[in-house]
Amino acid sequence: MIDVVIIGAGPAGLGAAVAAAEHGLQVCVVDEFVKPGGRLLGQLHEEPDGKWVNGIEEAQKLYNQAIGLGVDIRCGISVYDLRKLENTWCVYTTDEMIESKCLLLATGASETPIPIPGWTLPGVMSIGAAQVMGNVHRVKPGEKGIIIGVNVLSVAIARELQLCGVHVESILLPQPGLLAGSAGNPEKMMESLLRLSHLAPSPLIRMGGKWVSPKLGARLFPKNGFKMWGIPIQLRKAALEILGDNQVEGVRMAEVSANGEVLPGTEKTVSADFVCIAGGLTPMAELASVAGCSFCYVPELGGHVPLHNEFMQTNLAGLYIAGNITGVESAKVARAQGKVAGLSMARELKALVYGGNEKLYAAVEEVTETRRNALIQFQPGIEEARKELHRKFDETYKQKLVSI
Amino acid sequence: MSEKPTIVCRCEEITMEEIQETIEQFHCSSREVKLRTRAGMGSCGGRTCRSVIDRLVEELGGATVSNEVPLSYRPPVRPVSFGVLGGAKE
Amino acid sequence: MNSMRVNHHPVLGDLETHKEIKIYFDGQEYTAYEGDTIASALLASGVRTLRFHEDKETPRGIYCNIGHCFECRVKVDGKKTVRACLTSAENHMQIESCKALSASEVKGGTL
Repeated sequence: MIDVVIIGAGPAGLGAAVAAAEHGLQVCVVDEFVKPGGRLLGQLHEEPDGKWVNGIEEAQKLYNQAIGLGVDIRCGISVYDLRKLENTWCVYTTDEMIESKCLLLATGASETPIPIPGWTLPGVMSIGAAQVMGNVHRVKPGEKGIIIGVNVLSVAIARELQLCGVHVESILLPQPGLLAGSAGNPEKMMESLLRLSHLAPSPLIRMGGKWVSPKLGARLFPKNGFKMWGIPIQLRKAALEILGDNQVEGVRMAEVSANGEVLPGTEKTVSADFVCIAGGLTPMAELASVAGCSFCYVPELGGHVPLHNEFMQTNLAGLYIAGNITGVESAKVARAQGKVAGLSMARELKALVYGGNEKLYAAVEEVTETRRNALIQFQPGIEEARKELHRKFDETYKQKLVSI
Repeated sequence: MSEKPTIVCRCEEITMEEIQETIEQFHCSSREVKLRTRAGMGSCGGRTCRSVIDRLVEELGGATVSNEVPLSYRPPVRPVSFGVLGGAKE
Repeated sequence: MNSMRVNHHPVLGDLETHKEIKIYFDGQEYTAYEGDTIASALLASGVRTLRFHEDKETPRGIYCNIGHCFECRVKVDGKKTVRACLTSAENHMQIESCKALSASEVKGGTL
C-alpha cells in the first residue's frame, strides 16, 4: 500500500503530488490523457504586463518537479471505481487496482453542453475540445469556425484559436429558450463579459466594466456586435441550427432583442467548417459521488460540489479534493489548492515536520490570495460561496473528523 | 422553427421533445426521465447531458435542484470490459 | 497534405519536427506524427467522421476531446470502445470506425 493516490494530473493533482512528495510521502498520480498537465496544457494567455503564460511549459515544470521527487505518474489510465476498506482506499483502474492510505480527487471539470439542432454533426465540438486540438495537438479544428455561447472561456479560447491561424467568424448566443438557460439571455451574457473588462482591448467593454449595468449594456449593445481582437462578438444574434448533411457546413442564425427574443425576418445562414459549443464548466465529481461524499449545490462554483473544508478534506476520512472539482476557478487557484491538499495529507499521515502546520496555514492563505488576484473570475461571489461551504462543512463534520 | 429535432442525449439520441413530454406527463425527477426515455443512459454515463436534463426537469416543474446529485453516479464510471472488471489489464 | 497542422504559432513557436508514422483508418492509409492521438492524426488529414450512431446511423466525430463524451470511440486493432481522443497513434495501427448495428443485432441482444 502506498501513501497517496491522486486522480488527475492537472495543476491541482501535480501541485498536490509535489507538496506531498516533498514531505517524503510515496505518491502515485493517474490520468486518462496521454500527457500530464490536464487543462493547463491548452492554456495560453497574456498577463497584464504583456507576458504570455504558456500552459504547456507550466505543466512541464510541474511534471519535472514531481518526477524529480520520485512521484510515479501514470498517463492513459482510467479510474472506474473506488472503494474504502478499513483504512485503505482501493482505486480500480484499467491498469490495476492501487491501494493507498489517502486519496485525492483532482478530476477537474466537464463542459456544460447547449443542445442545438444539428449539434451531433462531425465538426461540432465543445470549446475546450478546439482549444486542446489547436494548442496541444497543434491541429486546427477547422479553417473557419463559429462559437455558440458568449462567456469568459469562449472569448479567451476564440483568441487562442486565432493565434493558431483559425478564422473565427463570430461568437454568438444560443437560441434563447429552455435548453440555453441564461446563456441565451443577452443581459446575463453582458454581465459575464463585463468580468473580462480589465483585459479587453475593446474600449466599450473596458469602460463598460466600470460603470455600465449589464441591463443597460445589453440594450446599448450594437446590433452588429463589437470586436475583440477582430473577432465579432454578437450578443444580439442567436444560433438556431447547425447545418450540414455529413458534417458542419454552416449555421442558421437570427437577430434577437435585448431580452433574447428572436426577431422574425432576420434569419440568415453563415458558412463554417466547424462550430464550438461554449456552455461553461461544471465540477466533475462522479468519483466523489461513487465514494459516498456529501454534496452541496453551489451555483457560484458551477454546480454540485463535494462538501469540503479549507484543508481540502471531504467528509470521508482520508479522501481529499482539489482543483475544479471543488468549484470552477483558474488553474492558478487549482494549483494552490493542490498544495494545500498535499500538505493536509502529509498532516494526516504524520509526515509534517517541525513548522509544517504553519506551512499548511500559509498554503490555505495563498489560495485566497491567488483567488483575489485572479485575472478571470468565472462567476461573481466565489469567495463568499466558498466561505459558506466551509462553514457548512465545519458545522456538520468538525466533531466527527479525527485529527483536525 | 428548426427543421431538425433538438437532440439532448447524444448517446441515445433522445430529443428535447421526448424529454419535455415525459416531464409534463409524469411530473417526474431526472432519474425517472432517465428510466423512461434512456436519456443519460448511454456510453458516456450521462456525463454530457445530465446538467441539461436537470435544468429541464427544474424549469418544467419537476423536482427542484437540491444538494443531492439528481442523477446518481454508479460504478463503473467508465465503460470497461468484463476482463478489466475481473482484474485483467487492458 | 497535413494542411490542418498549426506549423507556426506566434507564441508557442514552430512545430517541432516529428517522426512520421502510418496509420490505417477503415483500410485507408494516413500519415500521422508520433505523439498524435488518433483523433488529432485523423483531423490533421481532414477526417472528421469517426463512427456512426449504432441505431440512428448518424455520423459522429470528436466532441469533448478529453475522454468525457465517448463520441469518438473507434475499434483499434480489433479492440472495441477505444476513445480516439485519448489514444496515441502508433505506427501501423489499424483503426476502424464503429458502424451502425444491423436491426437483428440491435433487437437480438448480441451487443
